[in-house]
Amino acid sequence: MIAAKYYLLLSAAVFCIGLFGILTRRNALIFLMSIELMLNAANINLVAFSAQHGNLSGQVFSLFTMALAAAEVAVGIGIILVLYRNFDDVDVTTATTMRW
Amino acid sequence: MSNPWIAIGALGVVAVAIPLSMMAISSLLRPRVPEQGKTTTYESGEVPTGTPRIRFNIQYYMVALLFVIFDLETVLIFPWTVIYRDAVSTAGLTTVLVPMLVFIGVLVVGLAWAWRNGAVRWVRTPRRELTTKRES
Amino acid sequence: MTDPVSAALGLGGYQPLVPALLLGVTALLVLLVDTIWPNEQSNTLLATVTIAGSLASLLVAGAQLFLSPEAATLFDGQLIVDGMSLFFTVIFTSVTALVALASHDYIAERPNQGEYYALVVLAATGMTLLASANSLVTAFVSLELASLPSYALVAYLKDNRGSAEGSLKYLLIGGLSSAVFLYGISLVYAVTGTLKLTEIATVLDAGIDGSLTGVLGIGIVMILGGVAFKTASVPFHFWAPEAYEGAPAPIAGFLSSASKAAGFVLAFRVFLTAFPTSAVAGVDWVLAFEVLALITMTLGTFAAATQEEVKRMLAYSSIAHAGYALIALGALTGAADRLLVGAGMLHLLVYGFMNTGAFLFIALAEQWGIGRRFEDFNGLAKEAPVACTAMSLFLVSLAGLPFGGGFVSKYFLLLGTVLSSSYLLAAALIVNSALSVYIYARVIKAMWIEDPVPGRTIEEYPTGLYAAVVVAAVVTVLLLPGLALFTDPAQLASNALF
Repeated sequence: MIAAKYYLLLSAAVFCIGLFGILTRRNALIFLMSIELMLNAANINLVAFSAQHGNLSGQVFSLFTMALAAAEVAVGIGIILVLYRNFDDVDVTTATTMRW
Repeated sequence: MSNPWIAIGALGVVAVAIPLSMMAISSLLRPRVPEQGKTTTYESGEVPTGTPRIRFNIQYYMVALLFVIFDLETVLIFPWTVIYRDAVSTAGLTTVLVPMLVFIGVLVVGLAWAWRNGAVRWVRTPRRELTTKRES
Repeated sequence: MTDPVSAALGLGGYQPLVPALLLGVTALLVLLVDTIWPNEQSNTLLATVTIAGSLASLLVAGAQLFLSPEAATLFDGQLIVDGMSLFFTVIFTSVTALVALASHDYIAERPNQGEYYALVVLAATGMTLLASANSLVTAFVSLELASLPSYALVAYLKDNRGSAEGSLKYLLIGGLSSAVFLYGISLVYAVTGTLKLTEIATVLDAGIDGSLTGVLGIGIVMILGGVAFKTASVPFHFWAPEAYEGAPAPIAGFLSSASKAAGFVLAFRVFLTAFPTSAVAGVDWVLAFEVLALITMTLGTFAAATQEEVKRMLAYSSIAHAGYALIALGALTGAADRLLVGAGMLHLLVYGFMNTGAFLFIALAEQWGIGRRFEDFNGLAKEAPVACTAMSLFLVSLAGLPFGGGFVSKYFLLLGTVLSSSYLLAAALIVNSALSVYIYARVIKAMWIEDPVPGRTIEEYPTGLYAAVVVAAVVTVLLLPGLALFTDPAQLASNALF
């Protein structure tokens, strides 16, 4: 059996790649993809430790998060379409009609 | 007992070495005849025009979206099917079947709503409508 | 616990879930109505179904809260229906009913009404389930059920650039924070091997391997981040002013009252049940909440003071109020814990009415087509005295002056901070409340004292919106003496958490 810390490292790496994408990219679609990556990093943890602890709740939870991630993308792409219609761009920095 | 990972490492080395050596040897042996026709995208085929980034009809998006959502619901049905037989024998048919029927019923309400509101109706472009009218 | 009605319906053991089930069925009914008559304008029917469903849910939840508030666990401990979940269900359903009543006039001329009401009720269902979540799985799933419809609702005004922009920011920050929240859950699962809140507490109580404290700490901080997003607390608040300003005004009221309360019920449940301070000595989340509360209320108040638009000012003031409610978790020192959490719940109840009312008044102003800036409200009281009286009541209650329920709940919070010797929080509460009097007074001064804007005539007085504003105002005032009615349930509910 592979030691638990390697799973933690792998998922942390995937999570950080997603976070890096969010911090550096300006395309809203790539933003959504990076969020998917972060959600899947959590899934790696859940499945790996489900096997480690010998109970199934983590694996079943990861099925739920997959469905939720799809729902989030469905809503997200709809909103990005509305953004494109209004601003003719999917760059997250062009939408600046309001300022704080 | 040698470490079994050595075999996997050796496999990896061989897998990289074979294509690399094939490319290297063929570049040493083959004659070089540079010609313009060889650099086109489709050699002895169509000459491509325009950019590869074209806009798709937005209606593909609706279909794809509905597919993604209803496709992923099978993920939630899957664990239920795995335990179905055992669960029926211990808990009885209604306790096992009714919740899943309720779940699918909710999905059916959603699908019926999407259908009635034209999410899957394929709207033709005005030009296309014109040609079909002329044909008829 | 089983009454004849639910027995006849075969509900049996699911009887405690009736409020959430009613909301879910209402959402399906709205979709069915829209399926049967898709192209007609069935606004009135849709609004009636929505209001009836949420009021029925409110009645059942209220009856359960006052008659039989014993805790009941369902689905092998995944859900728990106790005093706290019923208390928050009362908040969610009353805000939903008010918002639906106001929306009837607000969206009368717009397309996609079926989607609008269905999404509002689905979000309310998610919040109600979130209040009953007793495991991190149900918490995450219902959090998403509450969030996803909200993203879409903010973008409801499809041709409005502000609406699209606010919705995009809400979606991106919301998606990021739900990913962070989920990763935090996965780390807690990695350490404890269970997802149920009570079992997590048991495992942590028994003590964990010292080398895992770091992983657990990161997990708890990440969960805190998800909560901070939902409550619009400061490091995760950037979406809030934009989303509230861009959204249709009734939705802004819905998000800033109900959605915020949902964030707090999640925080109370997860942190008090799963991570009691005695069990996680290595991770001092109370301090984190104290810092969050201080920054959130101060930044919210000061940012509100510099705004030029009334709706945006209200958005920042709602951030400040999140800071006040965070005191309930930030001042936990063991001296007055039960009082503090009860006070936080009461504050969210009063806030649900006064803040929704204030945003509904903005909806009224948007219907009349008067501008968004403070000057545009000049002399409005001469033309719409009833609505302006109601708005003034909301504002003085938000400020914490003794004309509405906001005074009592802030007083309880202050009492809690003093009893638990969190004098810094007490001082911040007093200073920020005093400053907020000035902010809200600007609106009142514009409405009542300034000369009317020349050439402005108000042609129609939409009944539904007016009714919603007046009801919210009446409840806000009645809660000044009537909050005593709710102190017992809130106290019992918070006692059950410790």
